[in-house]
Amino acid sequence: MKEGIAYAIMGLGYGGFYALMAIGIVIAYKGSGVINFAHGAIAMYVAFQFSYLRSEGTFRFPWLDPIPTSFLNLPVTLSLSNGEPINFWIAVLLSLFTALILGAAIHYLVFKPLRNAAPLGKVIGAIGVMTYLLGVGSKHFGSNQPQPDGVLFPDKLLKNFLGLGLGVSAEALALAGVSIIAGAVVWFIYKYSRIGLATRAAAGNEKGAVLLGYSPDRLALFNWLLAAFLAGLVGILTGTVTGALGTGKFTGLIVPALGGALIGSMSSIPLAVLGGLLIGSLQTFVGTYVSGLSWFPAWLYSGARDSIPLVVIVALLFLRGKSLPIRGNIEEKRLPLAPYPKRIGKYVAIFVPLGFLLSAGFPGDFLFAGLNGRWGMALTTSLIAGMFGLSFVLLSGYVGQISLVQISLAGIAAFLTARLMSHYGPSDSNPFAVGGLHLPWPVAMVAGVAVATVVGLILAVPALRIRGVQLTVVTIAASISLYSFYFDNPKLTSLQGGSSYIIQPPTFFGIKFGSTGSQGLTDNPKFALFCLIVLAGLSVILANLRRGSSGRRFLAVRANERAAASAGVNVAKTKFLAFGIASAMAGVAGVAGAFQAGSTSAPMWDYGVGLSALAFCYLGGITSINGAILGGMIAGGGMVATFGNFHSPGLYSYIPIFGGMGMILTAIIHPAGQASIFQPLMRHFGSWLLTARGKEWGVVLRRLAPYLIGGGIWGAIGINPWRTDTYNRTWMIILGILIVLFVRNIVVQVKAAKAANALPDTNSLQEVTA
Amino acid sequence: MSESLLKITNLNAGYGGIAVVRDLSIHVNPGEVVALLGPNGAGKTTTLLTISGLLKPIAGDIQLLGSSTTGDRPEKISRRGLAHVAEDRSLFFDLTVQENLRLGLTGNRETRSKSQENALDMFPALRPLLSRRAGLLSGGEQQMLAMARGLASEPKMLLVDEMSLGLAPIIVERMLPIVRRIADDTGAGVLMVEQHVGLALAVADRGYVLAHGELTMEGSAQQLRDNQSLLEASYLGGEAH
Amino acid sequence: MSALLETNELTVSYGGLHANSNVNIKAEKGKLTGLIGPNGAGKTTFIDAITGFTNVSSGRAEFNGKDLAGVAPDERAKSGLVRTFQSLELFEDLTVWDNLIVMAEETKWWSFLADIVRPNRVLGIEEQAEWALNLLSLGEHRDKLTLDLSHGQRKLVSVARALAAKPSMLLLDEPAAGLDTVESQQLGKHLREILKQDISIFLIDHDMGLVLSVCDYIYVLDFGKIIAEGTPEEVRNNPEVKRAYLGETAGEMQAEGGAAAARSLSGEG
Repeated sequence: MKEGIAYAIMGLGYGGFYALMAIGIVIAYKGSGVINFAHGAIAMYVAFQFSYLRSEGTFRFPWLDPIPTSFLNLPVTLSLSNGEPINFWIAVLLSLFTALILGAAIHYLVFKPLRNAAPLGKVIGAIGVMTYLLGVGSKHFGSNQPQPDGVLFPDKLLKNFLGLGLGVSAEALALAGVSIIAGAVVWFIYKYSRIGLATRAAAGNEKGAVLLGYSPDRLALFNWLLAAFLAGLVGILTGTVTGALGTGKFTGLIVPALGGALIGSMSSIPLAVLGGLLIGSLQTFVGTYVSGLSWFPAWLYSGARDSIPLVVIVALLFLRGKSLPIRGNIEEKRLPLAPYPKRIGKYVAIFVPLGFLLSAGFPGDFLFAGLNGRWGMALTTSLIAGMFGLSFVLLSGYVGQISLVQISLAGIAAFLTARLMSHYGPSDSNPFAVGGLHLPWPVAMVAGVAVATVVGLILAVPALRIRGVQLTVVTIAASISLYSFYFDNPKLTSLQGGSSYIIQPPTFFGIKFGSTGSQGLTDNPKFALFCLIVLAGLSVILANLRRGSSGRRFLAVRANERAAASAGVNVAKTKFLAFGIASAMAGVAGVAGAFQAGSTSAPMWDYGVGLSALAFCYLGGITSINGAILGGMIAGGGMVATFGNFHSPGLYSYIPIFGGMGMILTAIIHPAGQASIFQPLMRHFGSWLLTARGKEWGVVLRRLAPYLIGGGIWGAIGINPWRTDTYNRTWMIILGILIVLFVRNIVVQVKAAKAANALPDTNSLQEVTA
Repeated sequence: MSESLLKITNLNAGYGGIAVVRDLSIHVNPGEVVALLGPNGAGKTTTLLTISGLLKPIAGDIQLLGSSTTGDRPEKISRRGLAHVAEDRSLFFDLTVQENLRLGLTGNRETRSKSQENALDMFPALRPLLSRRAGLLSGGEQQMLAMARGLASEPKMLLVDEMSLGLAPIIVERMLPIVRRIADDTGAGVLMVEQHVGLALAVADRGYVLAHGELTMEGSAQQLRDNQSLLEASYLGGEAH
Repeated sequence: MSALLETNELTVSYGGLHANSNVNIKAEKGKLTGLIGPNGAGKTTFIDAITGFTNVSSGRAEFNGKDLAGVAPDERAKSGLVRTFQSLELFEDLTVWDNLIVMAEETKWWSFLADIVRPNRVLGIEEQAEWALNLLSLGEHRDKLTLDLSHGQRKLVSVARALAAKPSMLLLDEPAAGLDTVESQQLGKHLREILKQDISIFLIDHDMGLVLSVCDYIYVLDFGKIIAEGTPEEVRNNPEVKRAYLGETAGEMQAEGGAAAARSLSGEG
């Protein structure tokens, strides 16, 4: 037991780290009502900044020159000392300055415009900031992973600490101390300073604060600066605790920190510090000491450490029985309208054959071989992301529940399907292969999806009690726990050393339609057809649900749970129904993803993948089926990304950056997503293809002729004229035309929207003056 | 020259571009208590919210201390000397009475402690409660705190919305004279929305009666009191005798 | 019990504050019962307690002879006790028609499977919804989103939505707030028509004109307590009621200070 106590004390190092982060998270929540998923990313950026300042004296601004040829010459990297390390204190100051810039930018550019947005918009804003910072971080620092030095007491080990028999690093204890001091300072600010008091006041009753002359924007700015400063502190101090820096490392650590913040109900600083320290200490105690005891079940070993935050979070939310303080905002915008799907039959009739032609009949990389290779991969990736997006549309778009655990449900279905289908155990060619029941794929798939649905239903239980941002916290914690509990747990998966399940290509009456997915290519156009059909099927199911009695109940619950109950709608059952169907859809997408890759392994189902999928779905339009499909098209590795990369080689690494900016802009400017821009285009195009007579073809062609010719010429010259390498230009003409038509469509719509907006204004004026 | 503290001209106000209050013109002079009366849904609260900037006026002009406030944000209007005691009181429940008061104070350290003393002198019942959380106060105490917090900023113009809401009449009867005292002692103008017509007219200098968003009566408190039947009609929807 | 809806010493407290104390109300079948009172008197709290949206501290409420304690709000609605909200609370993403259908339809566990196959199947409740729609002259707005309607029209939709469930008792929370005099009179006419359809009504409103002109029996609530009850004529002439609405005049104020103190129920200090 002495040993156990020593481990618990060692864990205080992590605890201090979590506590510092938890303080920052609480501050951001008080100031803006945002659960700041990007908090870890700010710490990450500062940690790298600090490390590079100390090692080579370079300072990097948190942006990029967007034009690779650098003709804008934005300052990005400043070398302060010709590659020599600079003074420690200057490095500290510059790092904290970086944090403050980030804080101010996040306030002015993201959360000030999102102040009255629906909770989902704020979540997306935070994910957008995180995605952006991760993108810039890996652009700036991604190439290597420095091992930063300790700052407080580097390399000092207290041997046989307190006579417990084990050495404890002084840095860890100091970190815990710093977190307590920082907590005390922040607590003092909130207790005694006027601006701190005003922050607490505005968090409880914004109207009251405004009426007393306090500007909510200024208060929010103050709090963002304070939160960013603390994140900066984390970045500077925690090098020795986290070990080698990695861009993704800090963001995953946000969950235990959230656990600490939740122990403090997102409002009490002392409790948040205590919570952070407790979680860190418990993690090391359980993960290192308890799990080493003889009675500890081996299958629990892998997940024990990472599940502690989930257990703490769920236990708190349930046992305490009261929810987080909700900000008393003056106004909050609703989610955008969820349009009533129309002409689904026509859509399917047009786009499935069209997609089939594209995937199997048209010239691809090789003439008339269909879309295989990287285009086939891109198309199927988009279609699968679209299927996955449908589960968000149902759950978040229709019922208003923000769940971040969908990716884990997809993974569960994929893993189980793979396991049930697999046949051969380890062999010479693959010593890590895992044997299974060798069931036919439809049976295995149904079983896998069914289990995913059951898990999804269990995870829906918290949603009956809590909503909005709180559900995001529980589900993200669940996602991370499931990852280490199941996907990354060799005792449960039998996968040794990070290997993957191999999936035999599924067959349909003897036709193999699977893909091997080797080297990022797909070798089978038939797989695209399979994905098209599945996506179309899921879309029709979702559209019909939306149009039927279930959809009415979904939207009733989304609009107002009280009113729904008063209308005789059983809110709990309705939420369960939505979670169940959404889980099944995520499961189907997961299995399709596994079929595409020809194998499946843990990293495919990481929570970060899920966050970016949600964000891209939001970008596409989270309240509509078209939005999910469009979100699939623009998702990482999908059609748009591949197109972009094709035209500007190297663009790939910019996708998180532009994706993050796109998410933020969408949340601010156009929460309905980009799909609503495409909608009229698709509708015209679709009905035109079906119904147009020769004369109409003529009229339309004449009207569009300039655009068609211009776009064609542009494509023929080259979409990106600076491009110097050789490539196939067959498609470029079509692409040029499409881009021109798209831009024209946006212009037409903006004009129409302006005209439509202008009308009611003049009307109401007349009414008033009349 | 008796310049009006607050002068509203031809105001149309409401939500989402739909006017709830139409063509309203009222004014409040320094040291004057003015009652804004009328049945529920008449647009009284809407008027106050528009004066303090929480709602943007649809048309018309609002002048505070001689200059227009149109388009200004509420926090800016507040800093120009307007205090608004809202219908829901808008207290900070998690903060103590002292902290609530502190947030209302303006100026330097010296004037701040003086204004706090002045506010507490008006509501001495709050003195023993200074360290209690506002959320734990009784309804009457909360109302006193809301008023005291409004006073703490030493406003030149005070808006009081439904002070009597949910309070026992005896409390209301004690508090209304304080409104009179505020106007007399500090020279501030007070515009109060009140549903207890009799009580309100007992302390007010003048009154306006709104019904369905339009001004139906105005005059000195005495005139309105004398016209009891008309008043009743506008409230009870009966016929005027 | 003969009354359709009856409360017995119903009390609702928030903290130490009695929002409703010992309220006894009977709403008879086939009658239009009204509840009036000044702002903050506890009227909405009463409806919330009856429909299961707030917890009852003591006392009981019965509907159709059955105790309502422990019955979930959606089950109360399904049993025929349907309310509207002062703030409307319409389902803004749905059309007017769908708002009504949500209320009217009975769903089974397999309804979602039926939706997947035939989302637009006939539900057998269209007639009822159609009737509610036409009664309130909303036919032309049937396929509009409620967002696109005027405030007055949305008020009517909220009443129509409640009616679509074919309730045995309709609880209306401030249906006339925000309506002008003409609209308010029309609403009164509609209410009398609804009564003829074997639907009893319990009406809460500030608009004394409306309440006094349409109700069969009226209760007056002030500071959470019933201070008067009777026919419209009785209530109109009741001095307590006038006082609750207008307060004392200056002269009475001093004379009746003691009486007022005795009426002080909320325990303020």
